Amino acid sequence: MRVKIVEREVLDPLADSNVEKLELIPIPKDIKRISLFDNTKPNADVILGTIEKNLNNITFSCVKKPAGAPATDEQINKVAKADLSILALGDCGSCTTWVILDAIRLEKQGNPTISICSHRFAPFAHELARSHGMENLRIIEIEHPIAGQSRAEVRKKTLKIMEAVKALLRFEE
Amino acid sequence: MRDNNAKAKVKVSKNTCGCSIDDLIRENLDNDKNNGKQKIKGEKEESSIKTNSDRLCAVQESDLEVYVDPDIEKVSYDFYMRKLTDGFPIVPPTRERLLKFLKYTDRQPYDVIATLAPRRGNATVEKIAINSVMAGCIPAFMPVVQHAVQAVSQEKFNLPGVNATTHPVAISIILNGPISREIAVNSGIGCLEPGNIANATIGRALRLCLMNIAGAVPGIGDHATLGSPAKYSFCFGEAENESPWKPLHVERGFKSDVSTVTVIAAEAPQNVNDHRSRNAEDLLDTIINTAAVAGCNNSHVPGEFLLVMGPEHAKTVADDGWGKEDLKRYIHENAIVPVELADRGGRKLDEQWITDDEVKITRSPKDVVIVVAGGPGRHSMIGHGFGTSSESVTLPITFKDGTPVQSVQDFKSKK
Repeated sequence: MRVKIVEREVLDPLADSNVEKLELIPIPKDIKRISLFDNTKPNADVILGTIEKNLNNITFSCVKKPAGAPATDEQINKVAKADLSILALGDCGSCTTWVILDAIRLEKQGNPTISICSHRFAPFAHELARSHGMENLRIIEIEHPIAGQSRAEVRKKTLKIMEAVKALLRFEE
Repeated sequence: MRDNNAKAKVKVSKNTCGCSIDDLIRENLDNDKNNGKQKIKGEKEESSIKTNSDRLCAVQESDLEVYVDPDIEKVSYDFYMRKLTDGFPIVPPTRERLLKFLKYTDRQPYDVIATLAPRRGNATVEKIAINSVMAGCIPAFMPVVQHAVQAVSQEKFNLPGVNATTHPVAISIILNGPISREIAVNSGIGCLEPGNIANATIGRALRLCLMNIAGAVPGIGDHATLGSPAKYSFCFGEAENESPWKPLHVERGFKSDVSTVTVIAAEAPQNVNDHRSRNAEDLLDTIINTAAVAGCNNSHVPGEFLLVMGPEHAKTVADDGWGKEDLKRYIHENAIVPVELADRGGRKLDEQWITDDEVKITRSPKDVVIVVAGGPGRHSMIGHGFGTSSESVTLPITFKDGTPVQSVQDFKSKK
């Protein structure tokens, strides 16, 4: 008699996900108004302030939002009034999550966005955007760390990303 | 060695697939009959079969297939290398084990219970069961794990933030009602420590669901700077019979005979050792001074925190005539951090929380989530919360039509 020993199959614990691809809203050529969406993380205001200072002929407004939680509908509607929103800062897990998810909410409403994340959390930011159907979400990486740094140091780091910001805005001096 | 001529040795009927076992048996029975041999009870027929061939089937690759469980060490290592485990060995999730778990749900295996962030994985009944098998659960725990997954997916729980944060927040599962007692969840001595299969594996099953369905893998979808041992498992029952007050689920509007699962985002518990206080106020001051600390999330984003009161502490407070609401109010009013220490967290302290240069660590008395658990001794536990952005969720354990489940065995009659 020939006996065959068969090892039982093990099942896969990983789940499927339904990724519905979403369209990124193009940035208009002639930007007049930008909303700065500040999640109140330490030095997020310095980053956004430095960006504001280095972009001429644009009107800025600032709206604050929670760091580790979704923005309220009121906050989203307020920032969506501008031609574009810049969100900062994703430099931890939950704040990166809600920078990206709020950026996607804005894009879904027709408001183009730029998200600023520190380089240590940018890979997660890209992966999160991809899993929510927006692989090409505009994310600019700033050098980590930002919290616990002097304002001068954060300004210096921000100036290094200004070229990338201007390139996305097709901004001409 | 395989006998290549075996097929030629045996009789094969025209209307068979080629397997000769029926012919062999029939042939030998006929021989026995012709020889006048009486079948003796218990006598093995295989002895006569062997006279014709040592193979039952010459056509098939084998005569007999024996299924064996996968090697635990091998599967555990393979799953670990693929980042599918918490680091401990797992029970191999075979289909046979899965089927045992599916007896304890009235839903279909493909039913999606929730979509879990950040990966937006579909938490189907089958995937929840597979992860529960891996965690070492027994099948009867399935309804609890299934409802815990559903609870964490509620929007107000903020799973995207809780999973991804650098903060060491775990998810505590608190069980109330008859099912907690039926499956022998520990609510007494050492309910927060190793030693009980329900406490150990239900929390672990939820964690594996978060890793494999939600994508909360350390460094990938879970960015905790240090993390927490409470993330391995943080599940216990409320000692309802030891409590001088309404249990948590009754406080939240459920009948006492309804079984519930409560999930709360909480740090690993910190002890409150008070052996000397003889009245409620002294004891509560010890609790308050343990709770009101600078480095917790509650200090800059006030919100819920979990207070697990040992039965002796609860009795001291209740004996002084304090109800649960009095207790919550007192803690809310007095658990305070000076503003210069409070405003050091990730999110800027909102001015709405500051009164006279002080910050209350809770937004209202409701944020003090109190349960009674543990054994003899004068200890309680505090688990600081995730802060303003996450609310605990209590769900009744129900069939899919919404009827409360009285006993986990009732699922079997639904099949």
